Amino acid sequence: MSRLFDFAGAEGMGYSQPDTLLPADSVTLPKNLVRKDLPRWPRLSEPEMVRHYTWLSRRNYGIDTGFYPLGSCTMKHNPRINEVIAQIPGIADIHPHQPEHHIQGLLSIFHEMQHMLAICSGMDQVTLQPVAGAQGEFTAVRCVQEYFRSRGEHQRTKVIVPDSAHGTNPASAAMAGFEIIEIPSLEDGRIDIEALKAVVDDTVALMMVTNPNTLGLFENDISDASDIIHSVGGQMYYDGANFNAILGRTSPGLMGFDAVHFNLHKTFSQPHGGGGPGSGPIGVKGHLAEFLPGPIVKKRPIVGDEAKFAVDEMWYGWYQPANSIGKVQQWHGNSGAVIRCWAYYRRYGYGLKDMSEHAVLNANYLRHALHREAKNAGVEDMFVDGANTHVAKHEFTLSLQPAKEKYGISAMDVAKGLLDQGYMAPTVYFPLVVPECMMFEPTETESRDTLDQFAKDFIKVLQQDAETLHEAPITTPVRRVDEVYAARNLCLRHPFDDE
Amino acid sequence: MVDQLPNRGLELEMLEEMGFSSIDDLFSDIPERVRMNAQLDLPPPQSEEEIIADARRLLGSNLAMADVVSFLGAGLYRNYVPASVFQLVTRGEFLTSYTPYQPEVSQGMLQAMWEFQTLVSELIGLPISNLSLYDGSTAAAEALTCAVRVHNRKATQKDTVYISELTPPDRVSVMQNYCQGAGIEIKYLHHNQDGTIDLSSVEQAAGSCGIYVEQPNPLGLLDGGYTKLKEIIGENTALIIGIQPISLGLVEAPGNYGADIVVGEGQPLGSPVTAGGPIYGIFACSKTYLRLMPGRIVGRSIDVDGKEAYCLTLSTREQHIRRHRATSNICTNETLIALMGAMHMSLLGPEGLEHLALRNITACNLAKQKLGEINTIAIPHSSGSHFNEFIVELPASAADCLKYLDGVGIIGGFDAGRWYNGRKNWLLVTVTDQTSAQEIELLAAHLAVWSAGVIA
Repeated sequence: MSRLFDFAGAEGMGYSQPDTLLPADSVTLPKNLVRKDLPRWPRLSEPEMVRHYTWLSRRNYGIDTGFYPLGSCTMKHNPRINEVIAQIPGIADIHPHQPEHHIQGLLSIFHEMQHMLAICSGMDQVTLQPVAGAQGEFTAVRCVQEYFRSRGEHQRTKVIVPDSAHGTNPASAAMAGFEIIEIPSLEDGRIDIEALKAVVDDTVALMMVTNPNTLGLFENDISDASDIIHSVGGQMYYDGANFNAILGRTSPGLMGFDAVHFNLHKTFSQPHGGGGPGSGPIGVKGHLAEFLPGPIVKKRPIVGDEAKFAVDEMWYGWYQPANSIGKVQQWHGNSGAVIRCWAYYRRYGYGLKDMSEHAVLNANYLRHALHREAKNAGVEDMFVDGANTHVAKHEFTLSLQPAKEKYGISAMDVAKGLLDQGYMAPTVYFPLVVPECMMFEPTETESRDTLDQFAKDFIKVLQQDAETLHEAPITTPVRRVDEVYAARNLCLRHPFDDE
Repeated sequence: MVDQLPNRGLELEMLEEMGFSSIDDLFSDIPERVRMNAQLDLPPPQSEEEIIADARRLLGSNLAMADVVSFLGAGLYRNYVPASVFQLVTRGEFLTSYTPYQPEVSQGMLQAMWEFQTLVSELIGLPISNLSLYDGSTAAAEALTCAVRVHNRKATQKDTVYISELTPPDRVSVMQNYCQGAGIEIKYLHHNQDGTIDLSSVEQAAGSCGIYVEQPNPLGLLDGGYTKLKEIIGENTALIIGIQPISLGLVEAPGNYGADIVVGEGQPLGSPVTAGGPIYGIFACSKTYLRLMPGRIVGRSIDVDGKEAYCLTLSTREQHIRRHRATSNICTNETLIALMGAMHMSLLGPEGLEHLALRNITACNLAKQKLGEINTIAIPHSSGSHFNEFIVELPASAADCLKYLDGVGIIGGFDAGRWYNGRKNWLLVTVTDQTSAQEIELLAAHLAVWSAGVIA
C-alpha cells in the first residue's frame, strides 16, 4: 500500500526551483502573520511521487480500462486529440482579463460553439459561462426568475419537477428561491399530463423536463406539456443530460422549450476526470437572451487596423446582456473544457446526428442482447424491462426485482459481480420508480463485440448463486467498502501521530 | 469518420437482428410534430489532422502570457506546473473515470482525494476540506450561504452577511446570485486609507451570520488586523477568509487565527490559468459546518475484510439524495484539477511551498522597489506588506497606460478602475514566481517613459 503521508524524505526534498530574486531574509511580514509551522505535507522525490500516483491510478477504473455502461453518465470515449489541443498555450496560458485583440482565435471558437449549440438546440442565444450541468440549471432558473420580475409577475414562485428528475433540478430551483412542486410520473417515468394539469396556474414560473427521461424513454406528450405550461404563462426548461440521444433528430426548440442546458462533458466528451470538470452552457429563446450571464461573444465586421489581429473577416468581442443576472462563475466558465468539446464537435460537424443514432442503436442492441443471452441461458425469469417500450433511446433500465424475490440476488449484488468480470457496473437504484433498478448506457463508442461479450458476462453473473454474489467483488483492489463505518467513524484526513 | 464509431457499417446487421429495418425505426417514438427533418446547418466533419491544424491556427493566433511580459493577475496567477503533473493526470484511469460511486474500483481517485483533503487541511489550518468547488468565487458564495444555514438561528442580524468592500465585483456578482434565493442580504465592511480593514466597521458585523475578507486582500496587502477579527465578531458569526494558497508558505494559516471557513482559488497550485477554467475552488472549514457544507467528501473506511478502504461519505447533504433540501446543487465538481493540485503539493513539500512563496514575495518586493524609484507614479499602500501584487497610482488612466504598454509587448497589469469607482488611475501590478528581474526592469523603464510623457 502506498500512502502519501508515509513519505518523509529529507527537508527540502522534491521539486527543485530557481532562486529567489532577493535574499529570503529581506522579507518582513506583520509579526502576527508569520507562519509558525509549515503544513505537514509529505516530502517526496519525483520518482517516488510518480510511482505513488501511478500506483493510485492502477487502482482506478476508467473508460480506458474497460466498458463503462453507467446509465445517465454518458461514459463515451474521450478522443485524445482534445487533450493535446487543450495544452496549446493559446488556451492554457491565457488570462481571462486579456484584451479582445489578444484572443481573437479563442473568441472565434467561443462564438462557433455558441452558434453550434444554438443550431443543435433550436435556441437563439447561448452562454458558455456555467461550468457544470447543475450550474447551467441554476443559471437558467435565475434568468427565468429575472425575466418574470422584469414583467412584474412576482407571483410566479413555483417550479414543477417530475419525481423522476435528477436531484439537481429541484436543488437548483430551490437555490434560486423557488418552491418545488413535484409531480408523480407515470409508471414508465413519463410525464403524467393529468397530474400536470392539476397543478398549473399563474404561480408557475417554470417546468423542468429531461427528455428522453431518466428511464431512457422519449416523452411523446412533450408538446402537450409545453402547451399546458405556456397556456398559464410559464416557461419550459430542458435538462440536457440526455441530449446525446436526440441531437439532430429533434431539438428542445422544436419541443417548445424556452431554455436548455448542455452537459458538454456528456454530449461532447469532455473527460469526466473522476467527478469533474464539466461544462454546462445554456441556450435560451430570444425573450430570455438579455438576462443571460455576461459576457457572451458577438461578432461584427472588422474595421480599421483590426485586421492585423483578426482571424477572419469578423471581429469577435464581448457583449454584456442588458438585463444580465450577473455572473455564476467569476471568469469565462470552463474554457478549457469548451475547447475540448469544440474539437469533438469538429470531428462530426453536420454529422453529429450519427453520434446520437449510434448511441441509440447501441443501447437498443445491448437491451436486445441481454434478453437474447438470458433466453439462451434459461435465466429470462430473473429480470424484466424497467419500462415496457418498443424502443429505448440512449439508455434503458432493467428491474432485477424477480431475481431478488426468487433468488435473493439484488441489483447491487449483480453490480458488484460485474466488477469481478472486469466491468464498471451500470447505475443502480436510479430512477427510483423502477424497483431493483439497473440503468445501462453503453454510448456510441462501444463495438458490437463488446456489447455481445458484456451481455454474455452479465448472464454469467446472474448464474452465480446468491451467496457467491453477496461476497462479490473479490478481484478488486478492495472488497465491499463499509459506507456506514465511514459515516460513523469519520476520518476525513490523515491522522498525524499526535492526533 | 469511422474512428469514433466502431459500429459504423454494422448498423443494418444490428437493426435486423433486433427486428428493425432502419435507424428511423429507433426514433419512431418521436412525434412527427417535433422531428427535425433537415440536416443540421453545420460544416462538414473534419479529420483529426484538420482539427489540430485549425486549433493551432486559431489558438496559435492568441497572445499567450508567456509570449509577452505579463504582470496580469488579479485572482489568477501565472505559475509553473511541473511536467510530472501533466504526465500523471492524463493517465486514462484518472482522466476517464466517473465520480467514484463504486468505491471498490475507484480506490485510486478516492485515496488521492482523501490525501487532497489532508493537504488542504494542513495548508489552511482547519480539519475539514471537500473535494473542490467550481472556482474561488463559487466557493466564497457557498461559504456565505453555508454560514447562514449554520448561524441564522442565533443571529441577531438574521439572513445577513458582510463582505469586504474591496471584493472584486465579478466575485460579488456570483455571491449575489447564490445568496438572493435564500433571501440573504450582503452588506459591506470598509477599509482604511492604507488598505487595511477598518476594525470598527467589523464591529457592526457582530451578530450577523458571517463575514468574508481576503488574505492577501484584492489590493495585494497582507493584513495583520485579521488576527483580531474572530474576537470582534464572536463565536456565532463565521469568519470566512479567502486565500491565495501559495502565500500560505509564509503567511499564518487562517485556521490558526480564528477562521471558520477558508475558501480560495486553488489554481496557483497545480493548474494553468486556462482563461479562467477549469480551475478549482478550495472549501475548508471547522467541524461546526461539516453537516451543512457543500460538496463531496471522502472518508477512510474499511472493506468487509477489515482492509483500509475509501469511499464518499456524508452524502445525505447532497442533491442526489436530499433533492431540494440539499446543502448545494453541486454535482460535477473539479476533481481532476484538484488532483493536479494534490500532485503539485506532493511534489513541493513544505519547504518547496515556502520557497515558492518566497519567490513570489521577493519578486513583488523587487518590483515595488523598482517602481517606487519612479517619481511620476506612486505606490499608495507602500507601507504595507504585499504578497505578489500591489496598486500603482498613475498620472493618467490605467486603461491608457495598458494600451501603451501593450504596444511594447507588455501586459502591464489589471485596470483596477474596473473594480473601484473613482480609481481609474489605479493599476494592479502582479509579480509571481514566473517574473524575472529583467521583466521588472523593463516594466519600470516603460512606466517611467510613459508617465513622464503624460505629465509633460
